[in-house]
Amino acid sequence: MLDIFDSSLVSSTIRMVTPILLAALGGSLCARVGIFNVGLEGFILVGAFAAIVGNHFTGSLWLALLLAAFVTLLFSLLFGYMTVHLRANEIVVGVAINFLGLGLTTFLLRAIFGVKGAFYDKDMQGLPQLQIPVLHDIPLLGPILSGHSPLVYVSFAAAILLYLFYYRSVTGFRVRAVGMNATAAKSIGLNTVRLQYLAISLCGILCGLAGAQLSLGQVTMFTEGMAAGRGFIALVAMMLGQSHPFGILASSLLFGLMDAISIRLQGFSLPTQFTAMLPYILTIAAMFFLKDRGMGSNRASQQSGR
Amino acid sequence: MEALKQLRNSLLQPLIATAIGLAAGAVFISIVGASITETYQQMWNGAFGSFYFFMSTLARSTPILLIALGLAMAFRAGVFNMGAEGQMVLGALSAALVALYMPGAGVIKLLAALITGIVVGGLWSLLAGVLEAKFKIQLLISTLLFNYIAVLFTSYLVSDPFQDKSGSAALAQTAMLEKSVWLPKLFPGMTLHAGFVIAIVAAVGLFLLFRFTSFGYEVKMLGSNPFFALYGGVSQKRVMLISMFVSGGFAGLAGTVEVLGAQYRFVDGALTMPGYAWTGLMAALLANSNPIGVIFASIFLAALQTGAMGVERNTEVPLELASVIQAVLILFISARFTYAWWKKRKQGRESHA
Repeated sequence: MLDIFDSSLVSSTIRMVTPILLAALGGSLCARVGIFNVGLEGFILVGAFAAIVGNHFTGSLWLALLLAAFVTLLFSLLFGYMTVHLRANEIVVGVAINFLGLGLTTFLLRAIFGVKGAFYDKDMQGLPQLQIPVLHDIPLLGPILSGHSPLVYVSFAAAILLYLFYYRSVTGFRVRAVGMNATAAKSIGLNTVRLQYLAISLCGILCGLAGAQLSLGQVTMFTEGMAAGRGFIALVAMMLGQSHPFGILASSLLFGLMDAISIRLQGFSLPTQFTAMLPYILTIAAMFFLKDRGMGSNRASQQSGR
Repeated sequence: MEALKQLRNSLLQPLIATAIGLAAGAVFISIVGASITETYQQMWNGAFGSFYFFMSTLARSTPILLIALGLAMAFRAGVFNMGAEGQMVLGALSAALVALYMPGAGVIKLLAALITGIVVGGLWSLLAGVLEAKFKIQLLISTLLFNYIAVLFTSYLVSDPFQDKSGSAALAQTAMLEKSVWLPKLFPGMTLHAGFVIAIVAAVGLFLLFRFTSFGYEVKMLGSNPFFALYGGVSQKRVMLISMFVSGGFAGLAGTVEVLGAQYRFVDGALTMPGYAWTGLMAALLANSNPIGVIFASIFLAALQTGAMGVERNTEVPLELASVIQAVLILFISARFTYAWWKKRKQGRESHA
């Protein structure tokens, strides 16, 4: 039983955590402006596909990442237009966005690459594994912290940057104000619509990178529906983390660990369903104690009173 | 005259959205380089082209319709139940286990299985309602989380303790139900089963409930104006809890009839993969939670899916055409709230002038 836990488990946890963390941080941006975004799953899928398209046609990894971020940004603007501009119900739009993401990527997979199910090209390069000079040579810690794709480091940096943004910048303060009380924010002259669009577009970019990590970081291929529920896990990580960047970092690490353990357990032919279930049970349990029920904004109470 | 106008208004938006959805589908068909008319022709044939295909479409619409009816009830009361998927699988598995292991005559087992499916689905849903009523844990979040717990739990049960070990391949499924507990097929050789009749009867029953009972009025009042309802002495908690139980019960029944009438065993993933729960949610929205409208919306969405299967069989256009059309359609349906709101505002301005 003990050989389940070793340094390679920690290392694979860090790899597993990246897409969840990036998407959950994106989700928190939406939650902070009072929009509960269930469309993260669709965003990630679109990002994963765009990254592969970019990589295949430009041959450059950086352009691929750029394209993933850009295309998902456009996709998120559709979500933004429906929810902010047309004031459509965000849950309904999110569900539709997920269907659209799955439909579009499968469709375009056929249209662009002419294949069904999965696209794989042996000439395609995945994201490099960065060997960080000094860090790499530290015994024990080195192999854990070094040798990941750049996006892994980007995701951890994003958590810190987002913390600084929320709590140390004026715009971040304004973003939080919109989520806490949109009417009050408007009355002191904030442009709530613009702030909501800003948050949603940043969410799109982060989810696009999450998708790129899936299709270029962990493997180098695209398969239909490869987000495989990570968007929803990210949503749960966001709720458990109370939309606070460090809270999200902690909950994402926990879920990544569960993910890594699940994969390990398969080798031991133990039931994986219970480890997979744990994040959800934990989140429900945490809801009893969390004061604003994971939204990080007042929208929650407004909605349930509807 | 007024009623006619109302009918026209309530039909207009879904029809426009449908037209836009089909137009978006046409764009994507041409991207793949296929012929638009031929593809839609194939789609129509796949859904309604022969008596057999038409019956298959109705069979596929059965679980969608039942889920949508439950959600119509919940949405009317302003209750956002997102947990239909979990309620469906738990109901379905419990019903399958009752049908497999309960002693007694076939008909009794069949009835017991149906009731178990409804009650288990309802109770699982009610649990989320109680958490909201007692601990203020938002329904939206708890029902979403409960889905995963239910789906993973049933997956564990059929891949270990209740797994069918008779076959050579160890698939995650229960043993086959004996023939005496099968829901009868409506026509020999067709996939349509008695579950469809149950669903239609339920739709009419729900319509009458909304129309003619005081409870139906309370639900409507609470959904459209909670403050007025509270003023009128309606207990919001009571209506919420009942709505949760009923919508969960319908979802449980949806899974149950699928097990008893179509698959004859509980297969892991067989209910979640086709996305019945989300499609049911879309059908309820498309019909604006009107039970009779839900019948047509469910058949329409099922037809999109069976039609797309026909398209995939006969052309180069992939199955996901249905997902694209559905998604675009729902995006435009969801904008309806705005449209109504905008019109109301305009009216308000005119009356002030």
